[in-house]
Amino acid sequence: MIEVDDLVKHYQATDGSTVRAVDHVSLAVRPGEMVGLLGANGAGKTTTLRVLATLLRPTSGTARVAGCDVRHDPIGVRRNLGYVSATTGVPDRLTPREILRSFGQLHGLEGTGLAARVERLVDVLDLRSCADRPTGRLSSGQRQRVSLGRAMVHDPPALVLDEPTNALDVLGSRDLLAFLAALRAEGRAILLSTHRLHEIENRCDRFVIIHAGRVVAQGTRDELVAAGGELEDAFFRAVAPATEAAS
Amino acid sequence: MSEASSASAATAPSAAGAWSAVGASAVAVAGFQLRRLLTRPRLLLAGLGMIFPAAVMLAVRRTAPVPLDRDLTVVMLYALVPEAVCMLGLLVTMCPVVADELERGTWIHVAVRPGGRRALLLGTFLAAVAWTSVVAVAAVVAALAVSGTSKPTGLVAMFAALILLSAAGRAALFALPAVILPKRALVASVGVALVVEFLCGLLPAVVNQATVSLRLRSLLADWMGWRRNLPTEIEMLVDPAPAWVHVGAVAVLVVVLLTAAVLILERRQFPPSEEG
Repeated sequence: MIEVDDLVKHYQATDGSTVRAVDHVSLAVRPGEMVGLLGANGAGKTTTLRVLATLLRPTSGTARVAGCDVRHDPIGVRRNLGYVSATTGVPDRLTPREILRSFGQLHGLEGTGLAARVERLVDVLDLRSCADRPTGRLSSGQRQRVSLGRAMVHDPPALVLDEPTNALDVLGSRDLLAFLAALRAEGRAILLSTHRLHEIENRCDRFVIIHAGRVVAQGTRDELVAAGGELEDAFFRAVAPATEAAS
Repeated sequence: MSEASSASAATAPSAAGAWSAVGASAVAVAGFQLRRLLTRPRLLLAGLGMIFPAAVMLAVRRTAPVPLDRDLTVVMLYALVPEAVCMLGLLVTMCPVVADELERGTWIHVAVRPGGRRALLLGTFLAAVAWTSVVAVAAVVAALAVSGTSKPTGLVAMFAALILLSAAGRAALFALPAVILPKRALVASVGVALVVEFLCGLLPAVVNQATVSLRLRSLLADWMGWRRNLPTEIEMLVDPAPAWVHVGAVAVLVVVLLTAAVLILERRQFPPSEEG
């Protein structure tokens, strides 16, 4: 469902030098699977996810969502992908219902189909009590749920989430992750980036550890912790050689 | 969040309905942008735009040694409203089309929608034209009310048409710097306004044919019946073509500029470091 193959993304820095944000990254997420993309700040997680979301063009390599290539069929990718970011970016003055409706219209949804979809999401995301209140007056957890609803308004089979629990408290994070687990059970492919390892340790099917733009380890939790310890220990083991090589 | 979203399968549009989907999306964004403009600072700015020409008229009327005649009132109003008020209104509403989204962190959520970028640009264009036109027409009405001009209805209608053309043409013109240099869009648009609209627009050469200001001046001269009596040096600043040619030229400019802006925006990519 989500396939990244030998992906490279370079930026031109302001001083003219080339920054290798993503360096030959490959990963895959199958339908009904939730994969955690782990890495420190600046590791290349956000850039990888943004290439998948067609916000950035790859320098080389390929990225596909539901068989649609980000370079050759970006519209197809956008129809099949829901994207959630750490900064919810929900307009303060609009209500959750208005936001869901507006973004549904951006997907060409209209009439009773759109209204039914909005009401369904309001119920499923537990937004009924605040559906007509400006989002500026909502809690961080409610705002993130609105953001998730916005990503799902077109019912996409694949979801990409960039540090979605960053602004949430422990209860908000737990609810969100439980909801994602339910989405996975429906057969959706979910790629989730985070550096809060303890939250997703027992929730993701597999993990991809990325450091300095490169994949340094990937596998199930059991495979990664085979050498002992918790997922966090496995993470440090994976990034340590790369960190030492860089220094 | 106890249960997941079962697919209540809202259907995607067919390829045949793609154009109407773009139109509907643009209208949705326009409504969204107009609601964003309903803040106290923006409303205050709009109020100032409405009363500024009237205040100038009042001041001139009080200090002028002789009463202002109809033609001089029209010339002053033309400079104040379709030129000044429209330009200022569009600088506030059209220029930040991309910069605002980057600043608020909403750009990525619009850009990941099919046709989202196009809808953002076209919707903001519609909102900017509507907002600016309403403010400018109100400014004309207020200014004519204090100027004491006789039979103002015809003038209001003429200025409404000039305002609409000015707002549409200049909004399309400002769309280009807004998508090319989003973070410097305001400065770049002021530069474009000065160089393209005022400098090139006043050059009696082929280059002024591609400016909105030539079209507006020419329409003003035509609709006011001034053409036959213009001094030679002023005659060089207007085009004798019939009104429909000028209206058509502005329409073509709008289509060309907006198409170019859409094509550029579709290809723009902003690294995460350029946001918020």
